[in-house]
Amino acid sequence: MHYQAAEYSWGYYMPAVRSMASDPLERVLRVASESAVVIFSVSSCCMCHAVKRLFCGMGVNPTVFELDQDPRGKEIERALMRLLGNSPGTVPVVFIGGKLIGAMDRVMASHINGTLVPLLKEAGALWL
Amino acid sequence: MASHRVGETGLSDSGPSNHHVPYSLFHGINAPSTSFINQEGSAFDFGELEEAIVLQGVKIRNDEAKAPLFTGRPAATLEMFPSWPTRFQTTPRVGSSKSGGESTDSGSAVNTLSSKADQAQLEPESPISKKASSSDHQAFDQKHLKLQQQQIHQEMATGPSHNQSSVKAPQEKRKGAGSTSEKQLDAKTLRRLAQNREAARKSRLRKKAYVQQLESSRIKLTQLEQDLQRARAQGLFLGGCVGAGSNLSPGAAIFDMEYARWLEDDHRLMSELRTGLHAHLSDGDLRLIIDGYVSHYDEIFQLKVVAAKSDVFHLYTGMWITPAERCFMWIGGFRPSELIKMLIGQLDPLTEQQVIGIYNLQHTSTQAEEALSQGLEQLQQALVDTIAGVPIVDGMQQMAVALSKLANLEGFVRQADNLRQQTLHQLRRILTVRQAARCFLVIGEYYGRLRALSSLWASRPRESMMSEDNSCQTTTELQIVQQHSQNHFSSY
Repeated sequence: MHYQAAEYSWGYYMPAVRSMASDPLERVLRVASESAVVIFSVSSCCMCHAVKRLFCGMGVNPTVFELDQDPRGKEIERALMRLLGNSPGTVPVVFIGGKLIGAMDRVMASHINGTLVPLLKEAGALWL
Repeated sequence: MASHRVGETGLSDSGPSNHHVPYSLFHGINAPSTSFINQEGSAFDFGELEEAIVLQGVKIRNDEAKAPLFTGRPAATLEMFPSWPTRFQTTPRVGSSKSGGESTDSGSAVNTLSSKADQAQLEPESPISKKASSSDHQAFDQKHLKLQQQQIHQEMATGPSHNQSSVKAPQEKRKGAGSTSEKQLDAKTLRRLAQNREAARKSRLRKKAYVQQLESSRIKLTQLEQDLQRARAQGLFLGGCVGAGSNLSPGAAIFDMEYARWLEDDHRLMSELRTGLHAHLSDGDLRLIIDGYVSHYDEIFQLKVVAAKSDVFHLYTGMWITPAERCFMWIGGFRPSELIKMLIGQLDPLTEQQVIGIYNLQHTSTQAEEALSQGLEQLQQALVDTIAGVPIVDGMQQMAVALSKLANLEGFVRQADNLRQQTLHQLRRILTVRQAARCFLVIGEYYGRLRALSSLWASRPRESMMSEDNSCQTTTELQIVQQHSQNHFSSY
């Protein structure tokens, strides 16, 4: 019996997509491509909270995938670890326009050096 | 007096003689004494001394009837030298037999002893002295003593009558008449003498070993002192963190040391920057220096990554920086947006694009700081909830949860340092070479002044009876700081 994983984003509730795909990595990429900004997170993680605040502070509405609220969250976490290469704490992982940006340090670096905002505008997450 | 006569003769032949001694008799006595001393050289020990004393005692006993030649006695030390000729005039000599079986040199040494032992004649003194000076100040050694001991035993065994044996050195003709005399030593005395000799030898060896040990320890000590000085010079500076020495974790202590060294490098690199700027170096050369300075900053951030792993509280509570710096601290270091705000006025002239870039940098760094601060707030709240909550199962589980939450602090300090590093790199990108050089100099000066402020504050006069005095002192301190800052500002 399938059950639905609720996927919340800030502002609206997105019905879960029942996926037949068993490959977690595929699922990750598919989820990432469905929104302009996707954050893979854990609800209790403080750094994930920080990255969410960062985007909201910029006026972006990210889609958040809480791993601890998905029954196959562990697999997805492992897939993310493989994507990132290393893992001092896997989450948060940020996708913009379907492209992998990385963990918090990459997000911060790209924001400071001015590459984040163009990416957001390109993905349609930012209009200002 | 006979002794007097002999003394003079002896003096003429002996080596060092104590002319200054008033006693004429003393001269006579001293000749063999000095010869005895010469013989001993540096290996004088008390075993032989005691033996000599005992032997002298024996003679004294034998000579009870004979009154001493002089009423007064010379210095106490000299009493130990049994070479009082007159005393032994009547003592039968053991003499020649003692030296049986010995080589020439040792024979002379032995003969000196034997001469002092029997001292039958006064005449022997001069030849004895002769022998003494001719012998190369040989010290008594074991072999001689043992042989002497043997000879004594031999003497006892064979009885009193001995003639000058052929083994004796030719110098021993001095024995002359009455060459054979008996030593009146009993077996107990002999045994005791032997034991004393043995003890003396052992103590000599012990002393030698002890001295060697002392020498090696001394060398080790000087080496340790040198190492310690070198280590100190390399920077066990705790800077503003005085008194923190005892309660620093190893990771914190190591980081403090490395930070102190980094500060020294910083000072050196800043002088290089300053001279490079004033010397109007080419842009290429200046760029090299600036890139070196940026790597210098990368270094401290790398060190902080390592330190955060081992002791995040040390970084987070700011124990590694001075109190004045700590006032403005944000998550274990400087606040990037504040640094940009400070720099904005100092970087003129800037192109329009550069101005936009700088303001963008200030904006983005502010946003990033906000995000991290809010994340940290959530962490603190979660910690409070965990610790303040009622322990469900047991307190240990509660603590374990709190510990795992606390571990996130390291991540925040790392992200804050990352933000600082990225801000500096972005500054470097926006500015030209010369602007960047001035910019980094300003940054270095700024934190240098904060550190100076900390030490001034720490050393300010504390109490005064009058409040006016207080304000006066504060004003004076401000003047000092102003002068100091003026000196630094003038470099721009």
